[in-house]
Amino acid sequence: MDYKDVANYKNYALLSYHHIPGVHNIEVFERAGGYETMKKCFEMDPEAIKEEVKQSGLRGRGGAGFATGVKWGFFTKDRNAKKYLLCNADESEPGTFKDRFLVEKNPHILIEGMIISAWALGTQKGYIYIRGEFYHQAMVLERALKEAYAKGYLGKNIMGKGFDFDLYVHRGAGAYICGEETALISSLEGQKGQPKLKPPFPAIKGYRGLPTMVNNVESLAAVPWIMRHGAAAYKQWGTEKSPGTKLFSISGDVNKPGVIEVPLSTTLKEIIEIHCGGMRNGNKLKAVIPGGSSSPVLNADDSYAVKMDYEDVAAKGSMLGSGAIIIIDETRNMGDILKYTLEFYHHESCGQCTPCREGTGWLEAIFKRKETGKSSKSDIVLLDKTAASMRGQTICALADAAAMPTQGMIKVFREELEQYVTAAPKK
Amino acid sequence: MTEKVKLTWNGKEIEAPKGSNLLKAALDNGIEVAHYCYHSGLSVAGVCRMCMVEQDGVPRPFPSCNATCGEGMVIRSDTPKIKASVEATLQFHLLNHPLDCPVCDQAGECGLQDYYMKHGQYDSQMIDKKVHKEKVQDIGKNVMLDAERCILCSRCVRFTEEITKTNEMGILNRGDHAEIQCNETLKNDYAQNLVDICPVGALTSKDFRFKQRVWFLEDVHTTCIGCETGCSVKVSENKNGAFRVKPVYDHEVNGHWMCDDGRYIYKHVSSPTRLGGAVENINGLFVPADELNVQAAVKGKKTKYILSTALTIEEYANFFNAVKGKNVEVALYTLPSDGPEFDGILRRGDKNPNLRGAKAAFELAGFDHSQAGLDNLLGSISSSDAVFVVVPEILYNEDHFNTLIKKVEKAGVRIALACGETLGTLRAFNYLLPIPAFLEKNGEILNYQGQARKLRKGMTYGEASKDVSYYGKWVNL
Repeated sequence: MDYKDVANYKNYALLSYHHIPGVHNIEVFERAGGYETMKKCFEMDPEAIKEEVKQSGLRGRGGAGFATGVKWGFFTKDRNAKKYLLCNADESEPGTFKDRFLVEKNPHILIEGMIISAWALGTQKGYIYIRGEFYHQAMVLERALKEAYAKGYLGKNIMGKGFDFDLYVHRGAGAYICGEETALISSLEGQKGQPKLKPPFPAIKGYRGLPTMVNNVESLAAVPWIMRHGAAAYKQWGTEKSPGTKLFSISGDVNKPGVIEVPLSTTLKEIIEIHCGGMRNGNKLKAVIPGGSSSPVLNADDSYAVKMDYEDVAAKGSMLGSGAIIIIDETRNMGDILKYTLEFYHHESCGQCTPCREGTGWLEAIFKRKETGKSSKSDIVLLDKTAASMRGQTICALADAAAMPTQGMIKVFREELEQYVTAAPKK
Repeated sequence: MTEKVKLTWNGKEIEAPKGSNLLKAALDNGIEVAHYCYHSGLSVAGVCRMCMVEQDGVPRPFPSCNATCGEGMVIRSDTPKIKASVEATLQFHLLNHPLDCPVCDQAGECGLQDYYMKHGQYDSQMIDKKVHKEKVQDIGKNVMLDAERCILCSRCVRFTEEITKTNEMGILNRGDHAEIQCNETLKNDYAQNLVDICPVGALTSKDFRFKQRVWFLEDVHTTCIGCETGCSVKVSENKNGAFRVKPVYDHEVNGHWMCDDGRYIYKHVSSPTRLGGAVENINGLFVPADELNVQAAVKGKKTKYILSTALTIEEYANFFNAVKGKNVEVALYTLPSDGPEFDGILRRGDKNPNLRGAKAAFELAGFDHSQAGLDNLLGSISSSDAVFVVVPEILYNEDHFNTLIKKVEKAGVRIALACGETLGTLRAFNYLLPIPAFLEKNGEILNYQGQARKLRKGMTYGEASKDVSYYGKWVNL
């Protein structure tokens, strides 16, 4: 995606600076109005900032869609207590690349958002936990942090308010599971990246046993815009339950895949036809995975009818997730797609909880039975049953993330999958 | 006193301390809840997902091991939803398990077998290749690891992390390739507890494996005589002898655990070289002797007794009753301490299991139990004496005991009262007479806290039913 395209989104919240060349430099960013909101916020009561974010109805953009303001409300109000703000930039779900694009071109919008959030929450330290493969993006962030330190926006006594906030970048080691907030905390603590039992929730007992707030890159990056224009302005977009704009990372069989920012509740038809320039080679749409590899697949009819907001996607039996839209055209075999999905979750299960540890491996084994010549149509029934028995059984949602697309795929494309598993393996 | 709350579990009303573990409350009240990873002596892991329950007013099932008791909670673990979930989870547990029960020592007391009888699906749908892991790993301290049998409950990892703080065990790799591994070898003194807490056959005892099937064994609840701690233990035995020692939960003394030394206290009881009847030492060869011959040898001699600290309170009392009013010298031999006074967990350096009971009995009977008393007795030994020495049941320090034997050598007749193996050091004695071992008698001992700990009789061996009081009657024949 080039700058010309990005300019389409300059009136929205998150990509509003992306069209400006060199905006990753703090000088350019500030000339365009960056860090002004931060300065304004330092004159505000932290509780008022929290209230504004709550009023905006911003929902966590990492995938679960839990209201950010409500989550902040669970956090301790004791400003002197030691606590942490973590930014989850471990974007690893197949199909998702929105945070990467956001941070790479404009690291300062995230840093500004984090400083405002830290001031609101009273956290003294913050970490940006970034996916290990995002080496370039981590370097961009490191450079941006240095600039922000040099300006005195980070460190001791920021803006003479007697408020200290140190921010660090921490690179992950490439595990998908570390995008789950408690696993992220384990990893940051130097332990094996495994989710922790909840309760206690991180807001009560998180990093190093202290209150910790974990938010997604996109959620934190939306905070400056909300504070600048107000919650009411943010709500001009989207629906009552899904207000604001959202980044969507679109991949697959369209002419122009990439990252776009549109108001929530934009139709998927509009996204495909206008923002992505239509289907590649004029092929027919077969299916869409609307929210990353863990969301159930939608058939073509549902895809053209769905509005991309939390409620409507859920009503169609899938989920908005992180906004990773995978477009599948008629030339694709759904069996191949499910196979890759199952391989991915098998590889990424942390192995802690039994249903996930054994289940993810078995789903893959059942689906690949044709390789050993033992497959039959009824394997799909077993696959469905096994996936169902994994759901809601584990500490984190990885088992569900493997089971949901499996069951979703079986629901919509059962016949095609039956053919797939019984067909002779490719030589 | 903590506040108690009332809750119902499957319709049964139970009472538990407020805020205590929900699963423990059920188990304490005799409600059967399937679980693998939960152990009341360790932290909560919540990974086996077997103890899922539903609560009225809570939308989703949750693991009861990670919940606390509150007033008026209505918990159900018998709903169709939970039953299906336990069945499915057990299926996942067994998916890559080798099912080698016929050659597995855990068979008969295995969590997988037990729950399979109740929650198993019986028709296997698993026709795929199983994940293979490393088998037959000797990880030291008589512990064997079979990673394929392991269900990754992480109890052993938490034990070495939280109890011994030695961190030898860990889980390596991820997903279905995750496996328990030991960092080099085990180096703590409580390693055999890993075998006990392992709910399946992944960790087995090298000392016990392939010896007996557990359903052929009976447990005798008794007390460990390895040191002055006096841990509650059970000894598994049958007509072929004793085979293993396991700890029994005792809130006041040992909690859930016991040390590795205590695991081997059964060895002498059914040892093939165990003293079965009276024997006479003829030029260094032990040959069976008639008790009357021994009595004849003692006759006319002045009798002196050196008792050990491993006898029961009752044995001391009976002995002193037998020698009451007779011209006899009695002293007490105490084992020297071994290692630090207390290792911070259970082991104590003082290896005299009933020192307190012995001292009390000596004082009551008016005898001197001090080292000086022993020295006096040893100093006065002459060829007209018959000296009875009770050999300590668990002889930690043979060298120290040998110095005692050297001092006894002047006596005309030297008799050892032993319940252990016929050691080479006993060749200095003229006669060896059997006394019952700890597994062969009922009685009490006083541990380091002064608490009475019960020994229970599980077996009889040879003529070992005659205890020290029987030989106490041989005074001045």
